[in-house]
Amino acid sequence: MTGAGPERVALCNIAKSFGELVAVDDASMSIRRGEVHALVGENGAGKTTLMNILYGLLSRTSGDILLDGTPVAFKGPAEAIRAGIGMVHQHFKLAPSFTVAENIILGSEPLSRLGQLDRLEADRRTRALSQRFGFDLDPEAIVGTLPIGLRQRVEILKALYREAEILILDEPTSVLTPQETRELFATMRSLAANGRSIVFITHKLKEVLAVSDRISVMRHGRIIATTGNSGVSAEQLARLMVGRPVLMRVVKTRAHPAGAAALKVENLTVIGDRGETAVADLSLAVRPGEIVGLAGVQGNGQDELVQCIAGLRRPLSGRIEICGTAVAGREPLDCRAAGLAYIPADRGRVGLSRASRVWENMTLGHQAEFARGPFLAARSARARSAELIRRFDVRGANVDTPAASLSGGNQQKVQLARELTRAAAIILAEQPSQGVDIGAIEAIHRILVEMRDAGRAVFVISADLDEIFALSDRILVIFRGRIVADLTAEETDFEEIGRFMGGIEGPSAGLGRATASSNLDAGDRVY
Amino acid sequence: MSTEAIAPPRPGPPLRALLRPVVGPLVAIVIATLVGAALVAALGQNPIEVYSTLIEGGIVGWPNLSVALQMTTPLIFTGLAVAVSFHAGLWNIGAEGQMLVGALAAGIVGYAVPLPPVLHVPACLIAAAFGGLLWASVPALLRVYLNVNELVICLMMNPIALLATGFVATHALKAPGPTNKLPDILDSAVLPNFSLFSQLNAGIFIALACCVAVAIVNAMTVRGFEWRIMGLSPRFAYYGGVNVRRNAVAVMLISGAIAGLGGAEQVLGVYKAFYDNFSPGYGFDGIAVAMLANSNPIGVLFAAFLFGALSAGSGVLQMMTGVSKYLVQVLQFIIVLVLAAQFSFAWLFGRKPAKPSARVSVARSVEERTGTEKVG
Repeated sequence: MTGAGPERVALCNIAKSFGELVAVDDASMSIRRGEVHALVGENGAGKTTLMNILYGLLSRTSGDILLDGTPVAFKGPAEAIRAGIGMVHQHFKLAPSFTVAENIILGSEPLSRLGQLDRLEADRRTRALSQRFGFDLDPEAIVGTLPIGLRQRVEILKALYREAEILILDEPTSVLTPQETRELFATMRSLAANGRSIVFITHKLKEVLAVSDRISVMRHGRIIATTGNSGVSAEQLARLMVGRPVLMRVVKTRAHPAGAAALKVENLTVIGDRGETAVADLSLAVRPGEIVGLAGVQGNGQDELVQCIAGLRRPLSGRIEICGTAVAGREPLDCRAAGLAYIPADRGRVGLSRASRVWENMTLGHQAEFARGPFLAARSARARSAELIRRFDVRGANVDTPAASLSGGNQQKVQLARELTRAAAIILAEQPSQGVDIGAIEAIHRILVEMRDAGRAVFVISADLDEIFALSDRILVIFRGRIVADLTAEETDFEEIGRFMGGIEGPSAGLGRATASSNLDAGDRVY
Repeated sequence: MSTEAIAPPRPGPPLRALLRPVVGPLVAIVIATLVGAALVAALGQNPIEVYSTLIEGGIVGWPNLSVALQMTTPLIFTGLAVAVSFHAGLWNIGAEGQMLVGALAAGIVGYAVPLPPVLHVPACLIAAAFGGLLWASVPALLRVYLNVNELVICLMMNPIALLATGFVATHALKAPGPTNKLPDILDSAVLPNFSLFSQLNAGIFIALACCVAVAIVNAMTVRGFEWRIMGLSPRFAYYGGVNVRRNAVAVMLISGAIAGLGGAEQVLGVYKAFYDNFSPGYGFDGIAVAMLANSNPIGVLFAAFLFGALSAGSGVLQMMTGVSKYLVQVLQFIIVLVLAAQFSFAWLFGRKPAKPSARVSVARSVEERTGTEKVG
């Protein structure tokens, strides 16, 4: 890992405002030939905005971009692509019903002499490209049928097809299993060895240290440090990102699970939105005083399972018990009454009303406490919210702030404050640190551990293995709607969990995803 | 790092916060006024003259004002009915039909059930409210139990109500004589009239009372709290344990009952009998009123008065100048169009997730304002 090539790109004092809001504020960085350059920072630090400016997706308010020493001003991605810059976004921009080759050539199609699309040529070029970079992609495969890891390769290949010399990868690992991540890193290294430059946007520090030559840390819209990889620790990086020392892992004692299960799921089968069997004959139990983590690649039935427990979806069959009350197929009201506190992943649409004020968001579900006959004691509800804002350290809010204007971490704290102050025996936390700053993650994890120590049962569903390991006493792995592993956190590691997540190990390895059609009312139930 | 303020601290005068909800409607009114002026000018008339005639004919002098208030009253009922449903995120645009059925019920009880005056008016009002409620129960139940879009059903229930009440007035219970109407209501059922110049009657106080009642329910009760959350985010309300079905039915029924009361005011106060096809579209104008009022029950009073005064003025306008009274409808439609455009803008931009970069900067500017540093 040398990365000592000549400078390709220089970003000088770039600034970008959206109205009064400053997203990037005087950021400077350089990208060298043949290096993997990690760009790290908290959510909202301005990493993606800065790279979108380089890619021509956003215009800059001020500053200069030099490409090989020449000032450039891209008016759009097309110009940036022509100049050899490629970007793979966090959310893939692929046409799922098209083949790999069609996706790759889309926008710069090889044409036959009659001006028609030359499919054979497209396939040939795709295959050649794929072999050259060791990508192992079938040009004729339909993209929609490929696993996420392969789709990402299609995206990368698409950029390489356009002869990208500088490749920007925006949070590429957030959707991958540990094994897929390792393969991606190998690809990144080999591309860099070929003389390409890779910008790797992430907030996962371990990955940064594993793959990059140089690391730039971004905070509040500025690049505050650029360092080489050697001699830097994850703790130091986290400190730079947040601006203060950060505990990378919450301190917690051994769990002392006691008593009967607070949450018990037995033989649950759920039909998903597309008529597929999303959850298949699944059983699990969470006891008071323990944190159970559910690991799995997204889309393996976690969402459907959680929705059933929360009363937002009706299962096909099976039992769900919350503190001994059967709640399968009941309303959210019944699940809550039985003792459930649920922190949903979808804050914007489920867990909060973005247009409502903080006190309203904190009071829903607590109406009974503030009902005076038919009237709502709004004054006491607001007073309690003000107290919760202090207790849960919700920053930048008063009781009348609309929830939408809070940052992700603070929105999460509003949800936590509302849910954890209910007398609930089981806490269902879905992606609790998704879109949350490192500093706030620490606070959220600490709160969940405190809840466990107070004798509550905590069930964490997360796509982030770091989070699963940081919190869990026991780890379950879900694969294709089934629990394929039930492991004690101290006795397992990323590798083993990763193998279960990818279906390489476990009872249902190699099993096809069962499908069933049903016109059951299994979709989103609102009314 | 970075101690200099990026976004200037904006304490924001409370006046601005108070005015914010009024800005949208005012913009709509101003745009409609300007477009209307352009139209009038294109027709070769003086816009200032036309508008002053319209305003004078609408509200200047008690005779004109009492006509304006008479026109305002049904719009308060229908506007409030629609506003109640909008506030809870439901689209009851069937106020027209609910009002007709309410009016019919009031008309029947008014002539066919002899009662002492103290009881007769309340009996008619209850009958009307029940009629409107009954008509609203069809879309409400279909919505809640079969997930049928209430908007479509409400729309279809309107002509059904018109034809069904028309059948009663022209065949089943028709009064003798050439007019398609029910027999006149008994004197004991009449809502007292206040003015020699118009049919303004005590019904306007019922309308005001309804607005105040709804305002109190919305602002101060548990139900009002739940309806507000439902209106802004039904999924959040459902997730949070609100019984969304029961509340949705309740809101639709209340909405229908208010529209039905509007029908009673017309029969008991204005016409003194149920006439076939008496409504010039009060239920539809109510949708515009509710939109202009931003679903606020007190805003409904002002919006209804604006539309009522415009209608009253339009008659004078047609008499005094050569401008058609339909100018007023054009103005109303432009207001609705502008409001709808604002709605769709809000919808478009409301759906887009806030840029994370923007979010942190907000948090940051707040942090800097309060001078707190991020600490453990």
